[in-house]
Amino acid sequence: MPHQCVRCNTFYEDGAQELLKGCSCSGKLFFYIKKEKLDEMKKITEGIKLTDKEKEQIEQDVFDLVGSEIDKDQPVILDLEAIKVLRPGKYELDLVHLFKKEPLIFKIEDGKYMIDLIQSFQKFSKK
Amino acid sequence: MINIIKAFINKVLRSLFKKKKNIRLGLYGPPNGGKTTLANRICKDWLGEDMGTVSNIAHETREIQIKEQISIKSKGKELTFNLVDTPGIATKIDYEDFVKAGLKEKQAKQRAKEATKGVVDAIKWLDEMDTVIIILDATKDPYTQVNITIVGNLQARNIPVLIVANKSDLKKADVKKVQAAYPQYNVIGISAKFGNNIDKFYEGLFALAG
Repeated sequence: MPHQCVRCNTFYEDGAQELLKGCSCSGKLFFYIKKEKLDEMKKITEGIKLTDKEKEQIEQDVFDLVGSEIDKDQPVILDLEAIKVLRPGKYELDLVHLFKKEPLIFKIEDGKYMIDLIQSFQKFSKK
Repeated sequence: MINIIKAFINKVLRSLFKKKKNIRLGLYGPPNGGKTTLANRICKDWLGEDMGTVSNIAHETREIQIKEQISIKSKGKELTFNLVDTPGIATKIDYEDFVKAGLKEKQAKQRAKEATKGVVDAIKWLDEMDTVIIILDATKDPYTQVNITIVGNLQARNIPVLIVANKSDLKKADVKKVQAAYPQYNVIGISAKFGNNIDKFYEGLFALAG
């Protein structure tokens, strides 16, 4: 399955070294993209030109959305199909996906992290 | 044997008591429908205080707000619940809308991010609700993706629902249209801001959760 670096938009195949060590641009956050959505995603990516500052902002925003439990130094795979960040401050939400309670973030097989936003929210609500 | 019976009775009593004590009443709906205005109306009527701030700019409530142990009375009956005000649910959140409404770009982007997280939060909390009031703006089209998704998901979860068609004081309001859109539910037209028809709302609440 393909993955896309949140910072520089490069696509990587499943099992690529970069997913474990981090992208060549030093980004550690990757969007997980379903194969059938790859072409659609590539079109969207090509259509939107973001500045480096905007990319950094999106990366920061995604970290903020996901929660502070992530270690920023480890590569993390995000399944954010439910939330699209078009530009900093512009979000599209897929309510059907969100209501299905599917986890927003998946861990890759070899990765170190398992982050389930729904779980994090449950923890948060119990505090 | 006696111990088993005792334990069983205790368990039943505890679960009854617990359920009653923990009734969670959630306010759900699209942004700017008047959820917090209604929450404030309920709190003012029964506790004498406000619950949250309201604003003309959408997504003012971006975190779940809870007011515990509100007791309301109607026709000699009493109902106690924890009121949960939730962020407005939307499919698109664009900071430029907030800029147009007068916010600075940085504030607007922050608001957009918090509002996005708020939507996820509101949906997550749905499973914690015993009863839900959906607050719709009666001046707007009731057949939106957001409204239909919320209503459909509550139905699928078997959560009792009361639909409020708010802002009935405005000329453009069409409560009948809201009722026609969701014929399987009790729709009550109110003005949370001015308290119009609020008694009917409380009666509806008793019929649903009492």
